[in-house]
Amino acid sequence: MDEQQIKQAAANPQNVGEMTDADAVGTVGSPDCGDMVRLWIKYKDQGGQKVIDKASFQSFGCQTAIAVASMATQMILGKTREEALKMDAGELSKPLGPLPPMKIHCGQMVEGALKAALEAEAADKASVTQQVPAVLVDSSLHDALASAGKSVGKIKIVPLGS
Amino acid sequence: MTPTTAHPETLTGDTPMGELMKLFPGARRALFARYHIGGCQSCGFSDTETLANVCQRNEDVPVDEAIAHILQSHENDEKMRVSPRELVALREQDAGLKLLDVRSREEHEAVAIPGSVIMTQDVVQEIFNTVSKDVPLVLYDHTGDRALDAAAYFIGHGFTQTKCLAGGIDAYSTEVDPSLPRYKVEFAD
Repeated sequence: MDEQQIKQAAANPQNVGEMTDADAVGTVGSPDCGDMVRLWIKYKDQGGQKVIDKASFQSFGCQTAIAVASMATQMILGKTREEALKMDAGELSKPLGPLPPMKIHCGQMVEGALKAALEAEAADKASVTQQVPAVLVDSSLHDALASAGKSVGKIKIVPLGS
Repeated sequence: MTPTTAHPETLTGDTPMGELMKLFPGARRALFARYHIGGCQSCGFSDTETLANVCQRNEDVPVDEAIAHILQSHENDEKMRVSPRELVALREQDAGLKLLDVRSREEHEAVAIPGSVIMTQDVVQEIFNTVSKDVPLVLYDHTGDRALDAAAYFIGHGFTQTKCLAGGIDAYSTEVDPSLPRYKVEFAD
C-alpha cells in the first residue's frame, strides 16, 4: 500500500459531502460503531448513454474508507452503471496500492456503498424500504430518494430515554 | 461530558484503547496519520486492548513515541475545540459565524442546533468559493469525535478560524439547550 497516497487521500479527500441533486444513494456500515460509508451518484446523458456525471461520499470514522471512497468517486466518473458495477474493492483502491489484509474490508465498504447506490437507482427496486427516523417530523432528501426507489441502507434516529 | 479532561500522566501503555479514545478523541486520526494504525472499528483495535498491545502488533511501534505523538496531536486538537458555552459566546460576538453540521441528513433533520446548516457538497463549494478564509466556522457532529477530522480538512484549506464543537450536539443539548433531544443512531440494511 502506498502510505503517502493513502494519507494524502485521507487528509485531503475529494467529493466529500451529500449531493443534493443525486439520482441515487447507497449506505453501508454501522454509524453507531463509527464505520459507515454513504455514496451519492448523479447521472448524465452522454452520446445516448447514461453515464455517471458526479459522485460524492460521506464516511464516518474510517480513514482508509475515506481514502478509498475519495478515489472511487473520481474513478467512476464517465462510466455507465454496468461498468461501475463491475468495479470491486481491489480496483477502486488500486491507486492506493494493494490494501493489507486488515484493511481490505474498508475498501469493501466503499464497494458496498457504490453497488448499493447503483442498484438503488435501478427502477422498481422492490426491496427498498422507506426510512422513518423516530423523531423526524418532515420528509427528507433521503426519504425522497427512498420513496423513489433510489436509496439503499437506512439510519434510524432513536431518542434517548424512549 | 465536555470539554474532555485529559492529562498526559493518564496515558500509559496499559491504557485501554476505549478509554484512550474518550480522553483523546483525535487519537485515532493521530495513530493512523503517523503509523497507519487503526482506520475503523473492525480493522483497528478493540476498546479493551491496551495501547501497548496495539503498538506491539503494529510493527512494534515504541509505546513512548506513540504516547508523545498522541499527546502532541491532542494539544493541537484542543486548539480546534470550543465548548458548547464558548460556541454560544462566539455566536453572540460574531453574527457571521457559520455553524456546519457534519452528521448524516437523518440526524440533522431529526435534531439540529438552530441556525446550523448540513455540510453538503454545495455548501462546501459555496464556502470555498465565496467565504473569506477569516470567517469563523464551527463544525459539529453527534458526540464530538468526528468533527475534528472535518475541521482539520477546512483548516488544511486555509480556513484558519475553523473550530469544532467539543462533545457535539449531545453536549450542546446537555449544557446549553435541553430542548434539543438527545438520541442514538441505529443502522439497518
